[in-house]
Amino acid sequence: MTQFKWRRWNIVLHRDIGYLSVALVIIYGISGLAVNHMADWNPNFDRRKEIVSIEPIESTEKDTIIARAIKQLRLSSLPENYFRPDPETAQLFYPGTTYSIDLPTGNVLIESNNRRMVLFEMNQLHLNAPKGLWTYIADIFALSLIFMGISGLFILKGKNGLMGRGKWFVMVGSAIPILYWIWYQYLQ
Amino acid sequence: MKKLIFISIVSMLMVVLVFSGSKKKYGKELSLKETTKISEIVSHPEKFDGKRVLVQGPIVDVCKMRGCWIKIGGDKEFESIRFKVEDGVIIFPLDLKGKSAVAEGIVSVKKYSVEELIKSGEEHAKKEGTTFDASSVKEPKIVLQINGEGARVDSK
Repeated sequence: MTQFKWRRWNIVLHRDIGYLSVALVIIYGISGLAVNHMADWNPNFDRRKEIVSIEPIESTEKDTIIARAIKQLRLSSLPENYFRPDPETAQLFYPGTTYSIDLPTGNVLIESNNRRMVLFEMNQLHLNAPKGLWTYIADIFALSLIFMGISGLFILKGKNGLMGRGKWFVMVGSAIPILYWIWYQYLQ
Repeated sequence: MKKLIFISIVSMLMVVLVFSGSKKKYGKELSLKETTKISEIVSHPEKFDGKRVLVQGPIVDVCKMRGCWIKIGGDKEFESIRFKVEDGVIIFPLDLKGKSAVAEGIVSVKKYSVEELIKSGEEHAKKEGTTFDASSVKEPKIVLQINGEGARVDSK
């Protein structure tokens, strides 16, 4: 009976699962950096605000307000939607841009939300916004990461392997989250 | 092998394109067929408290932090209702603002004291990076929202 060569299989699986996972590792890594700093910036949208002035609009009729706003703001099409949040404000919605008009003063707040290309999609996948099938793909990816972490420990033998200097690196790497949590939970 | 991988990728793209409709789905399937006017809910909140409703209207605001709520404009001027979902369960992108939505959930009516309103207003202002004038809160308020479960949004 031939001996099962587990170390050889470990290397093969680590290598091939690594090839399969590399795109997602990069996506989750980049998105992780982006969403870690959500308090400082919006990782999904480039948000801009601008205030411009037009002539005050006295009418309360929807069609008149829209027509006058379009003319004065030099917009080329009708809005996707229209809303009056309060008696003094009219909002015109265009794809990615909202015009909030203060009717008595003519001040217009223009807010635009433009998707950050590629990063938006990465964040959506990372945060599992699509749900459904993606949940299972992400689960498989998470299991792959666990496998690659553990299988990586057993790739090398000897002084650079787990029983050599590897064990010290593993201990340091394991201590970082544990010590941080103790400090965060009990000491600060 | 190369051909097989190429054909698989092209097939997956085609399937995605074929099944992507003009309405984007968020959360659970909609179970109700008939919509309730937002003006009816706003006028008689106690009648709808705890009831499942389907509402429709333009999305007039979206949670800027986590996409955990949208505000749906009513059929009457100056009226809207907040459609709140559990954090992370549904994520509404900011650029849904202005799109038309059909959304289903359970109506929730809560009474808040002056102190609770001030605390909530201050927290909201902090999150949104705006200011809040505590003196503007004069009396207790009834806060109406739909605890959201699913929505369909025009994606054109």
